[in-house]
Amino acid sequence: MSMLKRNVIAAAALLLALASPAFTQVTKYTEIKTPPLRSFTVVQPKRIALGNGMILLLQQDHELPLIRGSALIRGGERDVPAAKAGLANIYGQAWRTGGTESKTGDQLDDLLEARAARIETGGGEDSTRISFDVLKDDFDTVFPMFVELMQKPAFRQDKIDLAKTQARTAISRRNDDPGQIRAREAARLGYGAGSPYGRTPEYATIGSITRDDLVAFHDRFVAPNNIIIGIVGDFDSVAMEKKLRDAFAAWKRGTGAPATIPAAGAPAKAGVYYVAKDDVTQSNISTLHPATLLRKDPDYYAAAVLNEILSGGFSGRLMTHIRSQAGLAYGVGGGLGSGWDRPTLFNVSMSTKSPSTVESIGMVKQEISDLQTKPFTAEELAHAKDTILNAFVFTMDSKAKVLSQRTLLEFYGYPADYWQKYQQGIEAVTAADVERVAKKYIHPDQLAVLVVGNEKDFDKPLTSLGSVTPIDITIPDGSPRPAASTMTAPPSAAATADAAALVKKVQDFVGGKTTLDKVQATKTVMAMTTKTPGGDMDIEMEQTMQFPDSLHQVVKTPMGEMTTVITPNAAFASTPMGVQDLPASMRADAKFDLLTVLKSPEKYTLGVAGSEKIGDVNTTIVTVTTDGSTAKWYVDPATGRVLRTVRNSRRGEQTTDYTDWKPFGGLNVPAAATISINGEKQGSATVKSVEINPTVDPKIFVKP
Amino acid sequence: MRHIRRSTSALAVCLLLAASSLFAQDLASFEKRTTLKKVDNGLTLIVMERPEAPVFSYATVVNVGSAREVPGITGLAHMFEHMAFKGSENVGSTNYPEEKIALQKVEDTYAAYDAERRKETGADQAKVAQLEQAWKDSIAAADKYVVPEEFSRIVDRAGAVGVNAFTESDQTVFFYSLPSNRVELWAYLESERFLHPVFREFYKERDVVFEERRMRTESSPFGRVIEEFLSAAFIAHPYGFPTVGWPSDLKSFSATDAANFFHKYYVPSNMVIAVVGDVKTAEVMPLLEKYFGRLPKAPAPEPLRTVEPVQKAERTVVLHEKSQPIYLEGYHRPSATDVDDPVYDVIEMLLSSGRTSRLYRSLVRDKKIAAQAQGFNGFPGSKYPSLFTFVAITTPGHTPADVTAAIAQELDRLKNEDVSPEELASVKTRVKAGLLRQLDSNSGLALQLAEAQTVYGDWRELFRSVDKIDKVTAADIRRVANATFNINNRTIAYVDNSPAKTASATAPKGESK
Repeated sequence: MSMLKRNVIAAAALLLALASPAFTQVTKYTEIKTPPLRSFTVVQPKRIALGNGMILLLQQDHELPLIRGSALIRGGERDVPAAKAGLANIYGQAWRTGGTESKTGDQLDDLLEARAARIETGGGEDSTRISFDVLKDDFDTVFPMFVELMQKPAFRQDKIDLAKTQARTAISRRNDDPGQIRAREAARLGYGAGSPYGRTPEYATIGSITRDDLVAFHDRFVAPNNIIIGIVGDFDSVAMEKKLRDAFAAWKRGTGAPATIPAAGAPAKAGVYYVAKDDVTQSNISTLHPATLLRKDPDYYAAAVLNEILSGGFSGRLMTHIRSQAGLAYGVGGGLGSGWDRPTLFNVSMSTKSPSTVESIGMVKQEISDLQTKPFTAEELAHAKDTILNAFVFTMDSKAKVLSQRTLLEFYGYPADYWQKYQQGIEAVTAADVERVAKKYIHPDQLAVLVVGNEKDFDKPLTSLGSVTPIDITIPDGSPRPAASTMTAPPSAAATADAAALVKKVQDFVGGKTTLDKVQATKTVMAMTTKTPGGDMDIEMEQTMQFPDSLHQVVKTPMGEMTTVITPNAAFASTPMGVQDLPASMRADAKFDLLTVLKSPEKYTLGVAGSEKIGDVNTTIVTVTTDGSTAKWYVDPATGRVLRTVRNSRRGEQTTDYTDWKPFGGLNVPAAATISINGEKQGSATVKSVEINPTVDPKIFVKP
Repeated sequence: MRHIRRSTSALAVCLLLAASSLFAQDLASFEKRTTLKKVDNGLTLIVMERPEAPVFSYATVVNVGSAREVPGITGLAHMFEHMAFKGSENVGSTNYPEEKIALQKVEDTYAAYDAERRKETGADQAKVAQLEQAWKDSIAAADKYVVPEEFSRIVDRAGAVGVNAFTESDQTVFFYSLPSNRVELWAYLESERFLHPVFREFYKERDVVFEERRMRTESSPFGRVIEEFLSAAFIAHPYGFPTVGWPSDLKSFSATDAANFFHKYYVPSNMVIAVVGDVKTAEVMPLLEKYFGRLPKAPAPEPLRTVEPVQKAERTVVLHEKSQPIYLEGYHRPSATDVDDPVYDVIEMLLSSGRTSRLYRSLVRDKKIAAQAQGFNGFPGSKYPSLFTFVAITTPGHTPADVTAAIAQELDRLKNEDVSPEELASVKTRVKAGLLRQLDSNSGLALQLAEAQTVYGDWRELFRSVDKIDKVTAADIRRVANATFNINNRTIAYVDNSPAKTASATAPKGESK
């Protein structure tokens, strides 16, 4: 070949190369070269320990003009007795919504949302959290609210009630979704029903939670020595440190009992457990037993590799065999759990169509026993380790992530270099390690198999797997009545009526606003029958109301007379034995008197809380609220007649049913009523006479 | 009173301005680092540099979803999404030339089996069984060439996180994140997916998808009510079809149907790919062009013809079953490209965003009839005229009727009263801050850039939408509310669990083996 020709060929080749620079056609992915990953420095947050034990972690990040912070606080649901299960959740909601000493939760909502800022609180298993998220220019406005909410929350009763309503709603719905049933019952089987890790809130436990409980929980845990605050965003660390020191350095250490790490309860025995659910076409399955491994154990690294082999991504054994190759599941996964500070579960879950339930359980159990019998290949080990190590950079690919990782390590008392050690630990794992860990922590003979499904459609009866223990998931008592739908009937006028309009209707029923305005006082004589430990007792009562706020009551019993007086300044009872002060809360009794409310409804917050049938009447429930307590009036929207009132008194939930209304001196008033406390009948009353605007001697309201 | 009101609204305006100036700066910085390139074959590429850490994320948005299906192939767009994880001619096979022949046999035997079993009269059951067996045998023969989950194994081992995809009515989206030294591997694998897709293990994956339907729709009260709601709200437009597909279609369509759908809609001009992270545009753009330039140019699909007719009657759907009441209410509204789209966004915020929102304050806080109540835009999609939809979860003892009345009250307020300047300012401030807060993740940015480019033909709309929202007035809100929230334009669907009615409803029929 001549020189010239060679050059032409070379030039042509060069031209070709230029046209598609170095781009030879790749046909196999292995031909692609992987350059080394650019090295980068992970910026760790600045750690500051205050003298009172509070830990600050400050992480500057100037990408966006935002500042976000979070205080992680030791103590959570697992520190609460079983009888109050659900407290951390109620606390986590009412802490924020209940507001601070200076601002209601609603005021906080307005102030924060106008600035697109957030302050949120939440309660979890082992901790609670209060966080903020602000545009940086608003930091100095919002941060004081964050501090006040942390140190001076108000836990207003109306928001506690709202959180409880939310919790009751969740309970009422917990058997609707089969995946949720599976997760809950698996925890109950694995940790024991009584343990903080296996239990669930019930109507009774939610009902028993009081404001005092929340305040006591807050006082016990929210103290500087229990708190780690992490802040990330567009700020200068030196300036931020000063602001935090100014806010928190003088805060005194707490003296409450420290947070605990309770043990799990007794797990369920090996066997098959069945939850019947007849409105599903798919079975939700869990196979599980307790696992003792903790993250700080050196075995954790081999367990991570084991889990990757079993169920990493779409390419683990479970997904490949049960989903891709058998087409039996959309979701299948799980593995050997490991807690930061407490044991967890070995748990593999899946869902499959009802007619492949027993077949699929067989496959999952086979996969589990294969972990001990089928050797891990060199390829499986290399694949799992590469997968974990190559993705490692994603544990620290943002400053916020580095901060939150660091906060967790601090919270659980792990060393700051935990993640570097983790990387080395994974690198060192051998096939022998994985085999040893699989044998040590996984026990195929101890599995509890939980099935939530519709057995009539199963491929084989569950008993083909052994004896079956049915689980009854009926929600324990206190269950709300199923909502009766009025949808098919024409929507009643009541449903859409406004509360104020209804109260106006009640006013009209009683005699009209003009008449009510003229009523300055009433004197009512009633005959009552009341339940006592010694049997029913007949009494006579004479009640004088001096509107707007004074009440004088004389009760004549076979044992003698008792006089009760309630005024804005005093509440006392006088008997032949002497005079005794009554609790100030008694004044609420006067405030919720029907005529008192009707004379000045504008002094109360009115609302509509749905409807309920009493006898033949579909009543609308009007809520009447003042000073944080609420009475419910069950009003016939057609006539304005009040059929029932319900409110919380010192003795419990007091229900008064007005069985008769009669005109007395131009006013229509309740003429007969029965009273129950917590659903138990306490007595009844019949009105004998009502005198409108009697002459009232002011001295009767004076304490003798 | 008047004085106080004026000063608070002045304060609100100040806040709004403060947020705006911060905002403009940051958006400009993001825009500067973003580059768009149209490849010769019609494909759109977007690269945004964000060198925070040596990682990157991508999103491939294909402008096709279940709204392009017709009866008989419902669920196919989603089915293809699953198939995109099954590899290509070069990934996932031990011997593709032989596998190709085996797969053709699977199609031939399936066609024979399917034709016989679906005969309207005179299907010969013995013949059906025989043809079914022949089909299953051909599947077993083709499976011999499969390298199980090879695509996922390569991606996982390279260190990928968040490997997934989703299908909606309007679009199909593929995404994951990788360390930044794997850009070329990713470009190769992602282009292979759409260059040489192979429909291997199709019929097993069809079973997997049916399991997804059982999980999300059949065995979930929410899934059941949503499916009934959409089928009632749309009588002509395919938004009424479930994205996962109707059971009959999921049991019938073939890999050949999927291939036809793929060739029609997975054309470069119908796709946008966005890459965000630690990449240099000058280096990565040629690499992307090299790999994705391989996709053959093809005509863009014809636009959809069917438009949902104006709704002339209220529609109510009731599911009598044991689960607790769930409530949905929807009103037809125009598509995302309509001039009033930002007004709907503001209405959504007013009604649903945060604890100051009207539905929260009325239904949850004050009336306590709902544990959750929200209204949201653009359901089930937004490319075509869709629904403004309300969702509520009742509290114990309260009924769907209570919710209907309470929502009606709030809608009347929207129609009859001007929104106060403070409330409107608060919403606008939150829209802006909301956008800022979305800018802190590669994967979020990749998805949003690709979606904005797909829906509006310009990724900058992602940043400009806030300017449009800024111009919305109280009068706009009343006008749009009056035009939309009318009883004949309403569809209601709810679960009624009152015992008498539930007892007379038959339980869902289980499948036979």
